[in-house]
Amino acid sequence: MGGTDAKDILGLPKTPLSLTQEKKSRPQKESHRKPDGISREVYALTGGVAPLMPSIDVTHLKRRPPPDEKVAWQWLPVKSSARNDDLQLYHWVRVVNDVPPSADYSFAKYNKSVDVLKYTDDEYENHLTDPVWTKEETDQLFELCERFDLRFTVIADRFPLSRTVEELKDRYYSVTRALLRATAQSPSELANHPLMKEPYDMTRDRERKRALSMVLSQSRHQEKKDAEILAEAKRITEMRLAARRAAEPDVPANENIGSVSPSSNSQLPATAVAPSTLTMADYTSTLASLRMLHVYLRTYGLEQMVQAASSAVGLRTIKRVEQTLQDLGVNLKPKVPTKTVCDEHLELRKEILTLLNLQKQLQYKESEGSSHREGTYAAMPDTPKDRVFASEPFSFGGERPIKKEQKRKGPGRQSDTPSPAHKRPRKMKASDL
Amino acid sequence: MTSNSSSKKQAQDPPESSEPTLKSLRTKMTKSDEKKKLKDIEISVPLVYGNIAFWLGKKASEYQSHKWAVYVRGATNEDISVVIKKVVFQLHSSFNNPTRVIEEPPFEVSESGWGEFEIAITLHFHSDVCDKPLSLYHHLKLYPEDESGPLTMKKPVVVEHYDEIVFPDPSESFLARVQNHPALTFPRLPSGYNLPAPMQVDDNGKKKRGDTKDHSLGQWFTSFSEADELLQLAAARQQVQAHIAKLRRQISLLEGQNQTIKTGSDP
Repeated sequence: MGGTDAKDILGLPKTPLSLTQEKKSRPQKESHRKPDGISREVYALTGGVAPLMPSIDVTHLKRRPPPDEKVAWQWLPVKSSARNDDLQLYHWVRVVNDVPPSADYSFAKYNKSVDVLKYTDDEYENHLTDPVWTKEETDQLFELCERFDLRFTVIADRFPLSRTVEELKDRYYSVTRALLRATAQSPSELANHPLMKEPYDMTRDRERKRALSMVLSQSRHQEKKDAEILAEAKRITEMRLAARRAAEPDVPANENIGSVSPSSNSQLPATAVAPSTLTMADYTSTLASLRMLHVYLRTYGLEQMVQAASSAVGLRTIKRVEQTLQDLGVNLKPKVPTKTVCDEHLELRKEILTLLNLQKQLQYKESEGSSHREGTYAAMPDTPKDRVFASEPFSFGGERPIKKEQKRKGPGRQSDTPSPAHKRPRKMKASDL
Repeated sequence: MTSNSSSKKQAQDPPESSEPTLKSLRTKMTKSDEKKKLKDIEISVPLVYGNIAFWLGKKASEYQSHKWAVYVRGATNEDISVVIKKVVFQLHSSFNNPTRVIEEPPFEVSESGWGEFEIAITLHFHSDVCDKPLSLYHHLKLYPEDESGPLTMKKPVVVEHYDEIVFPDPSESFLARVQNHPALTFPRLPSGYNLPAPMQVDDNGKKKRGDTKDHSLGQWFTSFSEADELLQLAAARQQVQAHIAKLRRQISLLEGQNQTIKTGSDP
């Protein structure tokens, strides 16, 4: 079989070590018999196994016409009901047993046309006069409508007087409606006519087209802003809904946050975590939604909270947070997720976010400063790969970690960004001044 | 406001029925207090779930190369059947009766086979605990990490995961039933909060012991301790906080400098 040959060539073991579910049910069915209709090599290309869902029925592949039929091809004239002129066209026709096909031209059924109503002069006088439109114009309009099957953009181009598409549409539909009303036998059959059920409204049509063009011409920036605003609105409504359902009305949102992170309050006076009010709302709503579940796994709860914390920042920042965690030697997902561990983990993530924010702030300040000075202090913007903590083994217990960082000059793992190594000493200078 | 209306009630009602009104007053107050206090209470059950697999060596055939067991146990090997009513293990469809329902501890399924696949473990709780079941997923591992190493019959392949079930708003009856049970972490109740005595009669003597402390495979169980992880996290937080403080100093310094430059360079 082709399968084992290939494995031999590639040096793969013949017995499978770990198979997926589908393959497990297949070992018996490895058919040594190829199906008919395709050659053995072609079949082996698919791996020697039938596809999960046959795309083509195998019997169709080499079906030949039954041998008792006599097939010939003849150059015959075309008879089409779609044509109403005398033009005679010819084409190849498959003739079986000397009997040419008698059906109509196969594409004639696509020749659909619209029933454009016609009116007499009397009817025009009685029902269809309009201050803006003369009879000649209306006649021309209707003639064009019939010729071009109500394709109003084309009609507007060919209309001798300059009228907008909406005006032409409006005139055509109101004339037809008036005619229908006038010639209707009974009001009930009138009510079911599609034109009467949804009359054309010129102003609405204009509005719709304007709105559409606005949406199409929106810049990407505008799109992003709109999406952000919508997301924020959704979050606020969710938070309100959750807060109303879960908590009591007199409890402010901050109390909930207080219970989740008891450890962080004592450590820093000006709390390291300074999230925007939006993130606070995220936490409350996440907590509320977790409560609604009545039971959940702590790892799931942590995931949700981490997502809430990262909801206001971009993908790049999230990656930087994860990189920092790795550099610090912390598992991205705690191996022993107890309540304290999860709380600490969440707090750490929040602090890292603050750290990254501060770094960005520092850069801005530096570049502001350099634009005023003469250039002794050329600050380059941080590349995304700049890492605060290289992955050296840090001892537990914090042996003066600040000093360690200052001494570190070598790039370590930062071989791809030479700039950080230069920047560190300069930063020190600025602060020592 | 509640006290006002009920005191009015007391005055209006005839003295014989003062007892029930007093009672209703008490229950009214305790109910609203209870609602306030129950908000921050959560019960968590630490669990370990995973599998142990032994290679059968000489006795291995093509379709039965390993003997394995997938299980859910309490993290400290205590009896989790106080919370869990039954566990449903959904095995690969090629097994007979792939849906295994285990209604008594130890909650495990032992089988023999050759393939690794994902097992869906659904935990069903007692009715006073929670109506909704909770699902876990575990990828059955039979072969050791380094594929080139020789298979040995002596040491099994063990893969265990630690997780905790969290009940964010436990009912009173649940709290009452499980207070002081070693399988779960019971929250600290606010002072003055009295739980009613458990209503069920303890028939621990009659039922089998549900803990896994003497489990036959107990020697292979992993012991999970949060201490290491906490240390790691604490050290990391310290570093980050120190760095944050440093950056803050730098920023304020620069701000000061920028100010002086601005005033200096203006013509």
